[in-house]
Parts: sequence; C-alpha cells; structure tokens
Amino acid sequence: MTVEESAAKYRVSSCIDCGKCTWGCPVSHKTSEFSPRKVVEEYVGSGNLSRDKGLWECMTCGMCTELCTSGVKFHEFVREVRPSLRSSILPETTHSDIFQIIQNMSSFSRIKPHTNNWMAPDLRIDPDSSTLLFVGCTPYFDVVFNHIRNDLLEIPRSSVRLLNRTGIRPRLLEHERCCGHDAYWLGDQDTFERLAEANVRAIEATGANEVVAFCPECYTALKDLYPRFLGHLDFEVKSLTAMVGEAVKDGKISLCDSGKTLTYHDPCRLSRHSGITQEPRDILRGMGRLIEMSRSGSMSACCGTSCWVNCDSSTKEWQLDRLKEAETTGADVLVTACPKCLIHFSCAMHEHSSQSQRSSIPISDIHVLASGGIQNP
Amino acid sequence: MNWRPRIVAFCCNWCAYAGADLAGISRKQYSPDIRILRVMCSGRVDPALILKCYEQGADGVMVLGCHVGDCHYLAGNEEAQKRIESTRELLGLLGIDNRRLLLEWVSASEGERFARTADDFVATISELGPLRGDARDG
Repeated sequence: MTVEESAAKYRVSSCIDCGKCTWGCPVSHKTSEFSPRKVVEEYVGSGNLSRDKGLWECMTCGMCTELCTSGVKFHEFVREVRPSLRSSILPETTHSDIFQIIQNMSSFSRIKPHTNNWMAPDLRIDPDSSTLLFVGCTPYFDVVFNHIRNDLLEIPRSSVRLLNRTGIRPRLLEHERCCGHDAYWLGDQDTFERLAEANVRAIEATGANEVVAFCPECYTALKDLYPRFLGHLDFEVKSLTAMVGEAVKDGKISLCDSGKTLTYHDPCRLSRHSGITQEPRDILRGMGRLIEMSRSGSMSACCGTSCWVNCDSSTKEWQLDRLKEAETTGADVLVTACPKCLIHFSCAMHEHSSQSQRSSIPISDIHVLASGGIQNP
Repeated sequence: MNWRPRIVAFCCNWCAYAGADLAGISRKQYSPDIRILRVMCSGRVDPALILKCYEQGADGVMVLGCHVGDCHYLAGNEEAQKRIESTRELLGLLGIDNRRLLLEWVSASEGERFARTADDFVATISELGPLRGDARDG
C-alpha cells in the first residue's frame, strides 16, 4: 500500500488540526520532537511524510486515535508506513535487540520452540481439548527479567488454574512460536507473516476451535492482526481476562474478598485496541474495593514502552509518574493484565528510581491475583 | 553434501585469544570452521550477542575465557558463566540443542588446549548438523 492509500484508509486528511492527539500522546510528553499533529499537518500540507526517526517514536498505544474527533487513525497510519521506512532507518531497540532476535528465530521453520517449561503438578491439561491456551513470550521474559521479577511464570500457571476452575482443561501447542505482535507494529511484515502462518497452521492442525490468550498482545495479534492477512480463521480467539471477568459475573468463579483496595492499569492492547475494560474490573470488584486512577479505561495512560524499542530516562520518568498516580489513589495493589506492563513498571520501580521518588505499591498480574483468590467450593 | 559447520568463537583478549595465537605460532592444526572474534572479556558476551550469531547463520558458538581465578578483570569470567546459563535457558525455550553453545577456559599458555577444544566442538556440531540449513529460512 502506498502512503497515499494508507492516508486515505486511515482518514489522515480529515485532520482539523485541533491537537488533542498531541495532548494525549505519551511520546509528546517525553519529547517535543514528536507530535502526531505535526506529522499529519506536514503530510496534509506538503504531501510528503518526513521520513525520520520520529515515526519510530510512536508507541501505537492508540491514545491519539481514541481522542480524535475527526476519525483519523493515526497509530494505524504510522504502522502502515513503517515497512517502507525500514529500508532507510531502523528503530532503536532495547536489551541489545534480544527480543527481536528471539522473535525472528522463532519464525524459522527449523526452529521448534519448547515454551511449556512452567508446568506444575496441580495444573490440568488435556491434549485432546478443543480449547488451546496460547502462552506467548512470558517464558522468555522470565529468563531475561528474572532479576526484576522472579514470579512471571506464575502468569501461565494461574491462567491454567483459572481455566480449570471454569471447567476447561486446555491443551498447549507443542511448538508455539512468538505471536508476531511486535514484528507487525514495527513494520517487519515478513517476520510477522511467517509467524502468523506457522502459528495458524499449528493451531488448525490441533483441531481446537477456541484459542485463549492471557497476554493482550497475543490476543490482539491472533484475533485482529492474523485475519488481516490470512482472512477468516477456523477458530475463535478469546481473552482470558474477559473470560474470567464473565465467569466471575456469572458466578462460575467465586473470589474471596481480600479486604484490599485495588487499582487497575488498563493495557492499551486490551482497552483501546480491544474494548475490554469492564471484565477486568468485574474480577477486581470480586476481590476487594476497586479505586480508579484518573487516567483509566479507554483513557488509560500508556505503560511507557512498546515492542522493546525506545526506552530511555524520560520513559522511566513517565512510568514512575504512573506509579505515583497509582499510589496516590491510596490503593494497596496496582493490578495490570499485561506481562509487558508488569515488567516495565517493575523495572522502573526497582531499577530506575531514587530513594526519594521510589513508589512502594506492589504490582500484580490480574490472573495471578484472581487465581490466588479463588474460593474453594 | 558440502555442508560445513559455521562456528563463532568469542575469545577473551587476555587468555583465550593469546591461546589461539600460541596454537598458530606452535603450528598446531585446528579446524578452519571456526571464526574467531576477539572480545576484551568473556563476561562481555551477553545472551543477545550469542543468539544473534545463531540468527545470522551460525551452527555453534564458543565462548572462551581465562580460567576461573585468572580473569584479567578479576571476575569477568564468572559473569560469563551466569550469562551462559541464561543463554542456555533461552536456547532450551527455542528448542536449540544445548551442545551448540560451549563455555571453556583456555589460558595464554594453552595453545594445544585451544586447538583441541576447537576440534572437539567442530566434531560435536558436525554431528548435530546444520541449525537452519543454508537457505535463509531452511
């Protein structure tokens, strides 16, 4: 697709230059060098898109699109021009590129990943199940970020426990590859398509008709991004967070009231990209008193980094600011539903805050919290 | 079949690289399948650097440093040990045989040991076969 076609598809020319997008943009808060409004204004005015580093700064969190009253889908537009940008300038990756390397390697046909190293004796798995649990990259994160959080594997374990409680014994893919979410949003189309095809083939070969993902990025990748390239899929994709929220509402899962006050950080892929904001709150209301931060739901602040690119001191300031926001609500625990949000906030808290600005609010994953609070029948 | 293993050997400046030099000076023969990369310390070799080699087509990676206690930077090689452990965990997740990664200590006076280590590793990798094949996505 050419830039003109992308611009038309995402209604870029409808911009009325109001600047709401830039007001809400987390990157524009960090640096005055990037502004969604400026990018659009330049493009609409001159017909040329400035092909500089700026287009890699966007975290595609979708806040600009959420705020736009003219229907400009800025984050989708940025993603569409990124594949052509890659030939001239690449994004600045974090952690020596390791996650991009893992993602790329995971797309090679001869590589057969084994990511089910987190099994526990109480987990019930059924190799013939019609429900498949998609695990995602959390086992890799567990190795790389063990010094920040050593409990990341509790997320897939808790996910199986929650499914078991709703009467589902899920199956797992023998060789599950990365979902390709980051490759897609960073414009690495080849890698994304290889991963999408390999995963869809593997899932379809199992005969499962339902795929559940606890990671919001895997969820949007499988549900929204794969069909963009592969058309209709023979299976339904569900978010575990939404499933558990419904099960709590329907009384299929009863949770113990912890007596704690909880606040919830909406991951962008779950809230703005997928519209799942109520279900996680249904879970938390069943576990304690829910208290909202001022930026929540579809207006939630971004966690500060996306796709393992562009992380610097201003990112950490943004994250510490969000932690302060959580702390000032008076909540006992900050809960989120995305492994990456969890890692980014934990990193900011433990590795990048001085004594004076250190937040002490515990950060928890919603699935781990819910699984720990299941009431025994 | 014309396949030959492609092997990257990270050698620390103070011990292993000098050991490789000694092997050459002493006319020790060793396999031409290894590509030596000099680093200041084996502790510098992080998981991303190792995985990048496999991503770019290496079939095996060796990290060679000073013997424990002999590190020029006191404990760099102990750091290397920790990093290799994490890398092995990542290799396990990617389904890559652990034998494709070797950590070994070679001092500046051990030319013979360098040549033997290189040959043994080449033999192991030859037995395991290509990691990806010659095609970019084999």
